[in-house]
Amino acid sequence: MADPTSNARSEILDRLRGPLSAHNSIFRDGARRDTPPPIPTAVTDAQGDPVALAHLFGKRLEGVQGSYEVVEATDVARHVVGRIVDWRGRTSDPMTEAEGVLSWDPAQLPLPGLGPQLRDAGISLVVPDDLHDRESRDRAAALNVGITGVDAAFASTGSVVLTSGAGRSRAASLLPLHHVLLVPMRRLFPTFESWLATERGDGGLDDLVTRAGQVVFVTGPSKSADIELQLTLGVHGPGSVHAVIFDDPVV
Amino acid sequence: MKIDVGATYDTRVRQALDDERLRLALERATGRLVERRAAAIAAVDNDRFRNEARAVREYTVQHLPTLLEQLEHNLRRNGCHVHWARDAGEATDIVCQIARQHDVRNVVKSKSMVTEEIGLNEALGRAGVKVVETDLGEYIIQLAEEPPSHILAPAIHKRAEDISELFQQKLGMAPSNDPAHMCAVARRELRYQFLGAEMGVSGCNFAVADTGTVCVITNEGNGRMVTSMPPVYVAIAGIERIVPRIEDAVLMWQAASRNATGQDVSVYFSLSSGPRRPGHADGPDEMHVVLVDNGRSRILERGYGDALLCIRCSACINECPVYREIGGHAYGETAYNGPIGAVITPLLAEDPLSACELPFASTLCGACRDVCPVKIDLPGLLLDLRADMTEGGAGGGTERMAARAFAATARRPRRYRWMASVARLVTSVFSRRNSETVDTLPPPLSAWTKTRAFPRMASKSFRKLWSERNG
Repeated sequence: MADPTSNARSEILDRLRGPLSAHNSIFRDGARRDTPPPIPTAVTDAQGDPVALAHLFGKRLEGVQGSYEVVEATDVARHVVGRIVDWRGRTSDPMTEAEGVLSWDPAQLPLPGLGPQLRDAGISLVVPDDLHDRESRDRAAALNVGITGVDAAFASTGSVVLTSGAGRSRAASLLPLHHVLLVPMRRLFPTFESWLATERGDGGLDDLVTRAGQVVFVTGPSKSADIELQLTLGVHGPGSVHAVIFDDPVV
Repeated sequence: MKIDVGATYDTRVRQALDDERLRLALERATGRLVERRAAAIAAVDNDRFRNEARAVREYTVQHLPTLLEQLEHNLRRNGCHVHWARDAGEATDIVCQIARQHDVRNVVKSKSMVTEEIGLNEALGRAGVKVVETDLGEYIIQLAEEPPSHILAPAIHKRAEDISELFQQKLGMAPSNDPAHMCAVARRELRYQFLGAEMGVSGCNFAVADTGTVCVITNEGNGRMVTSMPPVYVAIAGIERIVPRIEDAVLMWQAASRNATGQDVSVYFSLSSGPRRPGHADGPDEMHVVLVDNGRSRILERGYGDALLCIRCSACINECPVYREIGGHAYGETAYNGPIGAVITPLLAEDPLSACELPFASTLCGACRDVCPVKIDLPGLLLDLRADMTEGGAGGGTERMAARAFAATARRPRRYRWMASVARLVTSVFSRRNSETVDTLPPPLSAWTKTRAFPRMASKSFRKLWSERNG
């Protein structure tokens, strides 16, 4: 049987080609755009050394209801634990009382040895390898803290970008009520555009996007103003996002 | 008071103007959005921003067939199923078919204009599939069985106590008017839906031709949920919603965010390029992309290429003095309202005259053109439409649009009736409520109203009164 959408395909493309094949402009002001425009320039701006970028990133993240701290690499585990204990003390959501933390595979986190250090502090990392049955999803969804690394962090907006992959579940940054971002300073970029240019220059941008299945930019906690324009956090994704930024000169 | 979106335009506008609560809510919402947008725009080099965004969109629309083929090729390479739909019926059939193949009973959906345009929820409902809207505002109005009043804030006409009552009734919530509490209740309820639904549906803010990627913008995270949790993910994309490269998508995302809500960027920007890869813990097993024409190629044929540049940010809607008075419901049974809605609703339609009042629901003040991130000359397009609709184009040129078709069908009495109803409408919009006079009229009539009030047209024409009395 012929694919009914193949007729639709050729008909749609033909209908578009008709007006576009003429040499006059299809726009009111007579413009024509025959060649691709240059790669867009940066919309935002940020400058400074990595420490300055780290604090700028943090300030921007605070501006969108997130939080941050800049710590020594050796101190990361202690600060992560402190934050988790603090959240546990405050949460009263019965859905989220389980003990473990939903995490990327420790090998995918930007700090070796973090897994054992957290375990010593009484916090176990739960790393799902398959979330396709209802039971494993419900288990993952019952955890109230998620821990992930980042592919890049952007100082001018307080955003991060995460790619999904083996050992890098989407769920860890999405299902829990609280999200810890581990941000090594070497992953800080002034702007989206500076990161895109770096990846493009390395020849890997398109590959990075397609290989992952999903790439997501995250800028602060989940939010809504749908009820009387009042800001509410944690609508579907995490209601709090905390970045722990650290310098890791020797990796 | 509810506005009957199926009523005549006159009636809808009158109902909207008489609804004090709706007017106040709209004033608050649009006022806040306008203020935030202005601050977000003042922080950047907006001339350059707009020029670059415009250039990307112009290139895209001018090369649409090539980019669509490239997009299709790359989506398939990434493991996606690609479907083409000429019209709403084909599009909804395709989605219903996918649902049937997978025995889908429950669909979670993130907010999307194009799915509203094609009536997807209704079609899935007829096929026995339950669709849950997952954007908080959309969820509220779905529970209340009302249409959205604003593209970005669909439940803006409802007070916290209305929503509380609704949640108590439908979700068994304990009494509370606290938005944070209501939000937590909705989170729990919708979380259950996300984890149990067999299919997720989203629109598509931008599709990247170079990589075969569907980009979805949300603040709440429902876009991430519907693209990640259910085993089947279906993205519905208008065929003009393409950008050539990843960098262009990141630019347009920033343009949409700053101009829609005044954020630097939305909280989430999800880029999906196919089903989950081997070894990944989550993500859909199947991803489908439905490319929908439904009148878009007709817009190009009718000579209105500019209308396809739109990125649906809604800045023009918030700025529009007419929209701020009458709200979205008054634009009738269309997914699109405000100035851009007044342009594309008649243009998307097979018969543009089915929405012939809309191009007249504008003062042509130019605020929409000034804020548009891709510099669409909306007042210019509205003028062209008016010209094309009335006579076949005093200024528009006969090659534009359906002038010929219109001239053939519109006999004089019909056109007279239509023009008269337009005059009643325009004067009723511009007159203050309960006032018999109009303080400001759009040019060229503004020359008159600058110095004096223009009498509001009688709500019933002499012709109508005559035929009622003698009919």
